Amino acid sequence: MTRADIVVLVLALALLPMLYVKFWHHGAAGDEVRIMVDGKPWQVVSLKHDRRVTVHGALGDSVLEIKHGAVRFIASPCPSKYCIHSGWLHDGGEFTACLPNRVSIEVIGARARYDAINF
Amino acid sequence: MSSVRTSLTTALVATVLTVALSACGPRPDPVHKEQILAMGTMVNITLWGVDNDVAQKAFTAANQDFNYMQTAYHPWKPGPMGRTNQLLALDAWFSANPSVLPLIKRAKALYHASDGLFNPAIGRLIGLWGFHSDTLPKGPPPSKAAIERLVAQHPTMDDIQIKGIRVRSTNPAVQLDTGGFAKGYAVDRVIDHLRRLGVSNAIVDAGGDLRAIGSHGGEPWHIGIRDPSAPGILAEVDVKGDESVFTSGVYERFYMYKGKRYHHIIDPRTGYPARGTTSATVIGSDGATSDAAATALLIAGPKLWHRVAESMGIKYAMLVASDGTVYMNPAMAKRMHFEHKPPKVVLSAPL
Repeated sequence: MTRADIVVLVLALALLPMLYVKFWHHGAAGDEVRIMVDGKPWQVVSLKHDRRVTVHGALGDSVLEIKHGAVRFIASPCPSKYCIHSGWLHDGGEFTACLPNRVSIEVIGARARYDAINF
Repeated sequence: MSSVRTSLTTALVATVLTVALSACGPRPDPVHKEQILAMGTMVNITLWGVDNDVAQKAFTAANQDFNYMQTAYHPWKPGPMGRTNQLLALDAWFSANPSVLPLIKRAKALYHASDGLFNPAIGRLIGLWGFHSDTLPKGPPPSKAAIERLVAQHPTMDDIQIKGIRVRSTNPAVQLDTGGFAKGYAVDRVIDHLRRLGVSNAIVDAGGDLRAIGSHGGEPWHIGIRDPSAPGILAEVDVKGDESVFTSGVYERFYMYKGKRYHHIIDPRTGYPARGTTSATVIGSDGATSDAAATALLIAGPKLWHRVAESMGIKYAMLVASDGTVYMNPAMAKRMHFEHKPPKVVLSAPL
């Protein structure tokens, strides 16, 4: 085995864990959030850049915060604030909604870790 | 020569492994998803393994079905159930709208199976607490005297008599509020419809309560069960074939008044919001039974839940008590993959 063989082997083996984590690891963090207004797609926003998004819904403005690859509601004109209590959504398939304001968000990734969330 | 062979072998192994793994990259998952606002909640429909045409037909059918049932089963707005409630108060026979008759019959059976804990005849009590409104009540809670008066009238599903399409109530206090299981019943009807359209793999999820049929490309559907007391997921459960996962929780609809919390699941025995349990989760066959059972088990609480689950034919149930203790039957425990170990788990006898 030459030195070049060893280099190739080491590189290939180093690549394996990366590929495994990227493609096989279940429940990978989502890349984007799909924002729906009134049941229709409104915008798909990347979770890579920290920012705030204001969504105009049926009752008023819902404000989403995107930070460190996760998203949450931080303000919404609903009485129960259930959307805000849902907290950070991070994994593909995680979903929450402000029903009175008709705004919903879903984290999208490859295959989502969960096909549905029961509550 | 041997060095060349080793090099070739090395290169081959590395190539095969790399290609094999990268071939499993994130190809688009062949799922179709749709959201519908109906039954006072967000309905999410997921289909797997159908083409675009079938998916669109399925979504249109589901949308129409949910909208129809939302109007038909609404307890206090004008519509078939609203009208039924007006007529039930008259103490006379009347012809019920065919859309609500199967629902009432089913509710009677579930009332019996649950030992009266699932009691959709207490619509007046639920209204008295202020939960017959699209917005949450602000309080104050109703007076003790008003609650006791309604409880003393003891409205039950037994007070409703059915002969063919003729219906009457022998107790004028009976008002139907099928909020405890209409969602499950509607999910069942939509699943039936999807199957007729050629869909074999689907989840119909009405605001967190769902029925799943088939599989996700041969793999089970992964369902996350949300933690009732903290943000995030409490546990994961896999379902395959045809199963419903329903949870009733005191956090779904509630209001605060002078620092006290009043939620929407009213115990028909006391007339007050059920105490002692935060959530009850049931995995069952059909949506209607699972929905009613989740409500009944929450009301039953840690002492009675096992008996009620048994009489309702439930095979998998979990209760999260107010102190965080998790009660489950052993078969349920086997299926629940907890994200974090619960503070205390109490296993019951098998169901």
